[in-house]
Amino acid sequence: MHKEFTTGEIPGFVHLYAGEEAIATGVCAHLRPDDYIASTHRGHGHAIAKGCDVYGMMAEIYGKRDGLCRGKGGSMHIADMDKGMLGANGIVGGGPPMNCGVGLSAMVRGTDQVGVSFTGDGGSNQGTFLESLNLASVWHLPCIFVVENNGYAESTSDRFHASGVDIAKRADGFGMPGVVVDGHDFFAVYEAAGAAIDRARGGGGPSLLECKVNRYYGHFEGDQQTYRAPGEVDELRRTRDCLDAFAGRVTAAGEVTAEDLRRVDDEVVALIDDAVARAKAAPEPDPADLLTDVYVRY
Amino acid sequence: MVCVGVVANPASGRDVRRLVTGASVFDNAEKGAMVHRLMAGLGATGVDRVVMMPAGSGVSQSLHRHLSGRTGHLAAQRLPELEVLDMALCEDARDSAAAVRAMAERQVAAIVVLGGDGTHRVVAAHCGDIPLCALSTGTNNAFPELREATVAGMATGLVATGRLGGDGLVRRAKRFRVGVNGDAVVDSALVDVAVTAERWVGSRALWRVEAISEALVTFASPSAVGLSAVAGAVDPVPRTAPFGLHLSLAPPERAPRVVAVAIAPGLVTEVGVLEARRVDPGQVVALAARAGCLSLDGEREVELGPADHVTVRLVPGPLVIDVDAVMAGASRLEMLDQATTRRADDGNHRPTGPGQQGAAPGLVPHDADHPRVRGAGAQGVHHRRDPRVRPPVCG
Repeated sequence: MHKEFTTGEIPGFVHLYAGEEAIATGVCAHLRPDDYIASTHRGHGHAIAKGCDVYGMMAEIYGKRDGLCRGKGGSMHIADMDKGMLGANGIVGGGPPMNCGVGLSAMVRGTDQVGVSFTGDGGSNQGTFLESLNLASVWHLPCIFVVENNGYAESTSDRFHASGVDIAKRADGFGMPGVVVDGHDFFAVYEAAGAAIDRARGGGGPSLLECKVNRYYGHFEGDQQTYRAPGEVDELRRTRDCLDAFAGRVTAAGEVTAEDLRRVDDEVVALIDDAVARAKAAPEPDPADLLTDVYVRY
Repeated sequence: MVCVGVVANPASGRDVRRLVTGASVFDNAEKGAMVHRLMAGLGATGVDRVVMMPAGSGVSQSLHRHLSGRTGHLAAQRLPELEVLDMALCEDARDSAAAVRAMAERQVAAIVVLGGDGTHRVVAAHCGDIPLCALSTGTNNAFPELREATVAGMATGLVATGRLGGDGLVRRAKRFRVGVNGDAVVDSALVDVAVTAERWVGSRALWRVEAISEALVTFASPSAVGLSAVAGAVDPVPRTAPFGLHLSLAPPERAPRVVAVAIAPGLVTEVGVLEARRVDPGQVVALAARAGCLSLDGEREVELGPADHVTVRLVPGPLVIDVDAVMAGASRLEMLDQATTRRADDGNHRPTGPGQQGAAPGLVPHDADHPRVRGAGAQGVHHRRDPRVRPPVCG
């Protein structure tokens, strides 16, 4: 996407998830198809991890008729109700209230589904986030509020936008557990998310999981990132890359061979390349599509 | 100038135990408030400067709110100067290590640590013989104590300024030196070392006791939380004993002895114990090789393959200030008496007790006219010094 965006073929903005992959993967690995997630503007990773069709997602990013939202949404509105993906979200802090809706729905219907919302550190300053924590706690909803704290609210460092308190600590004020894990470490995210999801599914109520992480690219593609120190990203790629760390540990432990990982990498590259090529060649929506799927009859 | 270092770990008290056990929440604002109260105790006992590790995530903000909001009785108290170390932060354990090294260069007379067992482990690995005042920021710890920071500050100040010296005020803790594959990886533990079958360090915390096959403890306290409590339920070993304990564990159905212990706050678990053996000072214990994780002081730290060899040796640990002993000694020596205390021979009533009949053995009053030296700070404890103890000069 970083390269493709420069061709001008992708309408609107894209916000890349690179560097944060361990979070969506570690969380969504525990979710069932009938669980729901509410994503963010940086939602490509969430969509893939929740099982959305990669070609459908890519076609949506390119605004094509084959897209998951028939090309009406683009990168920031990738939704797939069949997969429990309530949507990437152009509204910062827009996911947590939807998460409460999922939780309330599961509670009223008596199912053991859970909801997960993803929010950034910037989103965690929105009233919607704090109100949702309160509501979920008051109603004891099966919700997990994941905060992907990548240190920047758009271009503002958390040193300037947060009150200096771990975001997880905000959970204390609403009477729910809040924990911090290293968002670069798949195993740390996986274990903590598993505990939070088991807790919610078992009737234990909501919790907040703050994942400390970094992003490799700007807030949006085209962001000059003048607010970041020179060499910051290079250093992060060298020392904190979650994919390298995962590969190193599972191969050292003898669980997976380097050859296995190469094969997976090849498959993923082929999948993405194919999805991009097909999306670029896919038909545009026509005027007749303008009002389809817009109005719903109750 | 007498300096005391302060390490307040902003990251402690936030691990997964809040989800999987009933572990307490310890807010960072409270850590900042604790440092303020600590400074009051240090200032009252004559400490000139506090050298503090930079602590984000609300600790520094809370401290500065308290420092700038001092009015009334608080404003009249003398506080040490506050120096926050100018250092780049990694936001992990390396910060504590670097801060302690910087404090050692500044020749601090003591270091107060606010954190859990893990924080203390890191500090102890780098502090040498600088005495520690170990304060717990939560209920999940065995090494540090949960106690009021003001009093801990007073005790630390009395030791750091050298105004109270002698035996029994500062004790030598124990420590395990841990080597993986010889000295390829070297680490340490203050309370316990364990091998768990869990393959990944993951979220670090150790609470699945059924996965633990071996554990060593420096002390075994039945009233502790965690592996020390397991050992303590079988064969208590005081902190002051020269030896430790090595346990072989097994699932309860396969163990000759099963004990119920608080393995974590809110989590009382049955633990099967196959065998408990004493570990003498200097003795090298080789742990049985297995794939899993090596846990140090309750946190998974090193992922082990089946061919990795772990050796553990019980060695002398850090010096730790015994706050109760210091305050009791200060009381016996009437060092807490204010200059305005009226003397019994003035004809006025002045309470006395068995402990006030004279200096306790091993405690050292600083000078002949003890304890009624005048001229100390109006609000503080007498600023006098044990001549046998030369406090270092803060650089």
